[in-house]
Amino acid sequence: MKVTLFATCLVDMFQSDVGKATVELLERLGCEIDFPQTQVCCGQPAYNSGYVKESKDAMKKMIGTFEHAEYIVCPSGSCAYMFHEYQHVFKGDPIWEPKAKKLAAKTYELTQFIIEVLKVENVGACLEGKATYHTSCHMTRLLGVQKAPMTLLSKVKGLEFVELPGKEQCCGFGGTFSVKMAQISEQMVDEKVRHVEETDAEYVIGADAGCLMNIGGRINRQGKPIKVMHIAEILNSR
Amino acid sequence: MPMKIGNERFGERVEKGINNSFMRGAVAGAQDNIGARRLNAIEELGNWEEWRSHGEEIRQHVLEHLDYYLEQLSDNVAKRGGNVFFAETAEEANEYIKEVVQSKNAQKVVKSKSMVTEEINLNASLEEVGCQVIETDLGEYILQVDDHDPPSHIVAPALHKNKEQVRDVFTKKLGYKKSADPTELAWHAREMLRQDYLTADVGITGCNFAVAETGSFALVTNEGNADLVTSLPKTQITVMGMERLVPTFEELEVLVSMLTRSAVGQKLPSYVTVLTGPREELDVDGPEDFHLVIVDNGRSKILGTEFQSVLQCIRCAACVNACPVYRHVGGHSYGSIYSGPIGAVLSPLLGGYEDYKELPYASTLCGACSEVCPVKIPLHELLHKHRQVIVEKEGKAPVSEKLLMKAFGLGAASPTLYKWGSKIAPTAMNPFTSEDKITKGPGPLKAWTEVRDFPAPNKERFRDWFKNREKGGGTSWPEPSKTEKHF
Amino acid sequence: MAGAIQNREAFLNNIANNLGRDRLTTPVNRPTWKHNPQDEVLKGASQDDLVQVLTDHCEKIHTTVINTTKSNLGSTLNGAVQNYGGGPVVTWKDDRFAEWGLKELFTNEWAKQEIDYHEWDFNSASTNINYAEKANIGITISEYTLAESATVVMLSSKDHGRTVNFLPKTYIALVPKSSIVPRMTQAAKKLRERHLNGKSLPACINFISGPSNSADIELQLVVGVHGPFKATYIIIDDL
Repeated sequence: MKVTLFATCLVDMFQSDVGKATVELLERLGCEIDFPQTQVCCGQPAYNSGYVKESKDAMKKMIGTFEHAEYIVCPSGSCAYMFHEYQHVFKGDPIWEPKAKKLAAKTYELTQFIIEVLKVENVGACLEGKATYHTSCHMTRLLGVQKAPMTLLSKVKGLEFVELPGKEQCCGFGGTFSVKMAQISEQMVDEKVRHVEETDAEYVIGADAGCLMNIGGRINRQGKPIKVMHIAEILNSR
Repeated sequence: MPMKIGNERFGERVEKGINNSFMRGAVAGAQDNIGARRLNAIEELGNWEEWRSHGEEIRQHVLEHLDYYLEQLSDNVAKRGGNVFFAETAEEANEYIKEVVQSKNAQKVVKSKSMVTEEINLNASLEEVGCQVIETDLGEYILQVDDHDPPSHIVAPALHKNKEQVRDVFTKKLGYKKSADPTELAWHAREMLRQDYLTADVGITGCNFAVAETGSFALVTNEGNADLVTSLPKTQITVMGMERLVPTFEELEVLVSMLTRSAVGQKLPSYVTVLTGPREELDVDGPEDFHLVIVDNGRSKILGTEFQSVLQCIRCAACVNACPVYRHVGGHSYGSIYSGPIGAVLSPLLGGYEDYKELPYASTLCGACSEVCPVKIPLHELLHKHRQVIVEKEGKAPVSEKLLMKAFGLGAASPTLYKWGSKIAPTAMNPFTSEDKITKGPGPLKAWTEVRDFPAPNKERFRDWFKNREKGGGTSWPEPSKTEKHF
Repeated sequence: MAGAIQNREAFLNNIANNLGRDRLTTPVNRPTWKHNPQDEVLKGASQDDLVQVLTDHCEKIHTTVINTTKSNLGSTLNGAVQNYGGGPVVTWKDDRFAEWGLKELFTNEWAKQEIDYHEWDFNSASTNINYAEKANIGITISEYTLAESATVVMLSSKDHGRTVNFLPKTYIALVPKSSIVPRMTQAAKKLRERHLNGKSLPACINFISGPSNSADIELQLVVGVHGPFKATYIIIDDL
């Protein structure tokens, strides 16, 4: 099966390991990976800040870049959701709305793709240790992917899973919110880190590089011995 | 108290909120407690999504036909002998109410909890003409006794106060001599207020829902204060936001059920009271004279706009109880009597962007508010729309941000620029980088790195890795890549 | 006499204008709602099932439930009154009390027990409220009873003072078993039918679920804030 990877800018620039793990995982599951080099940012940072006009060019570029794809897979629930949001942005536009609809219909978040399209629950991963999982808001609420990551994690050999208290609460990332409302964001991420600590987990896992950069950045700053990992890295562990 | 509370800037209010550790503990506790009860109350129904769709459909239908239903409501109230006054502005509403109160030579007014009367600052207007106005909801009463401390939550107005503070206020202002036990405190308030109900000349209430078909309106309380306010004084004045109505009793009961489940996780509260007109001819209790004041105060401007759905609100505060931002900053940070996500959407619409331009940004757009809303107001989408208006129409966004976003627009849309930018990033960030992380970033990164580390850009971008790997030909595992660094 | 309506036309025209259309002049019919989940709650439950649901929920709302028969009602009610510490007792004026054989209890029996008793009397207006305010117990009759939320529904009239439900320290509601319906849905439908049939609605309809309470101080529950401290429902098997 041919999969076109939408890697996201955070993964491209800061977390290439997540991208690598995604590629290797999907290849092992029998997919052929295509990565269009013309991909840019999905436009979310500007869009969410209210700069809708400014973000439209990026959106059009992305629609063009992925037009040929059969399946688009993205290791980020939030960015994958952004592809689903395009159709609302271009609502009423005779050219771009249909294109955006097509884009949305074939875009999947990584774990969603593995469960819903590949129909695989056990990817053969194996990692010893105690882990908890941060449910990111956009993936859970907006994209509506709730069970897929849990199902996949439950099949990872050696992994002991503990539920994160207050898991429905946002970690305080929110894109530009984290710098624009820094003092509030700090309180939110602090509570998230406290909850992670309460679980005694060695790993806190997530499916969104943004949330993980936020939680991980705070954990590192506080010097806490908790490893923050993307679910692609976990599923690619053997 | 008007809608706007205090004159401090947003940042100062937030700072104060964050540093108020009792308030934060109380808010977090309340969110967890009420949140769990709400969840329990909706899960036992088994088909909550159907209820939400039903609630949404009812509210949308009413808003689309609002002029018709308000006409029907007012006709039916008048038919039952009630007087109806349509007030376009807060001033008009206050003037009318003042006239009624003065025509009765009223000295004392008892009130049950009402957000709309807070919004129009009714109490101050009545006090101006020498009337004593007494709030009877326990939470509101505490705030009033404490020199008009503003409410910090739509449903639990005194949430930010602990029982010792309440005891101290009662001791100082009411000569209270007992402990900080909530029961003793509440019973003291009961004794004080009982006399007020019996001697008040006028009772003033808000309105949870009016029923167009019968000219009735419903009040929802657990304390029973609204019942005494509406049974003992000779004159009753009910003030309603113009959108708070339903076609018939059948929709009333659906929305009341949804309101109380969403607000506090109750199937029904202790008292739901449906009143129709003044007392009947030979009745002994209930008001002899009834006035309904229907308030616009900026609501009609919202109709027909992309923000119309905010008028579906039934003031349950489920969004407030689910909001992770409210959780840490508390109600007063919003600078409006309407706090939390609903406040962040509604306050700029009713009060203007000048005073409330920060509120739409006080959200991570996490969607928790939209998820719990019983009438499906897409609150986080409306917050986003506000941001768009602020940037595009109001021009209230900071210049530096505009430039940055303009650059973003150019950079993100152009693969060449994007690639160039991301390629030079490691070099550009070099002076700030140590051990693969940035601890003191420049520009917008500064706010980030004051609290957290930021990862240094990868030396080899993912796209370069992929390209090189393709050149090398085919797949490169059996061994999975080792993770070199963590987030 | 009909009340006055002020400022209506401009107000409603403005609304229509903002909605981008002319004023609606023909009656609006409610649409057929796509969902009616309220009809599904406790659908098909028997009267005994409903009594059970009501009883279970009463426990959660600090309300005592007593089941009795018509013939035992007098002694049951007497027991409940004694349990709440006796008089003064205030009741509505209602023929059903006599039908259920309570006249003897209210007049002779309580006089013997020195339980002070007052029956609502619209001819002596102020006495009623003064009495109710001092009363230990208020007794009223539920018109509809909602199983789901353990709610009694009280309809006001000249003989049914609304304050009997609120002013006394404790509260006893008489609940005919036949009045029990699944939830507020059925009561709302009946009240609407009553209105559509041209029978005017009472000025005050009280849906009461247990005693008065508040959680306004540190979310700690206080029972008995402005209304009664305690509540008892006596379910009368009248079927």
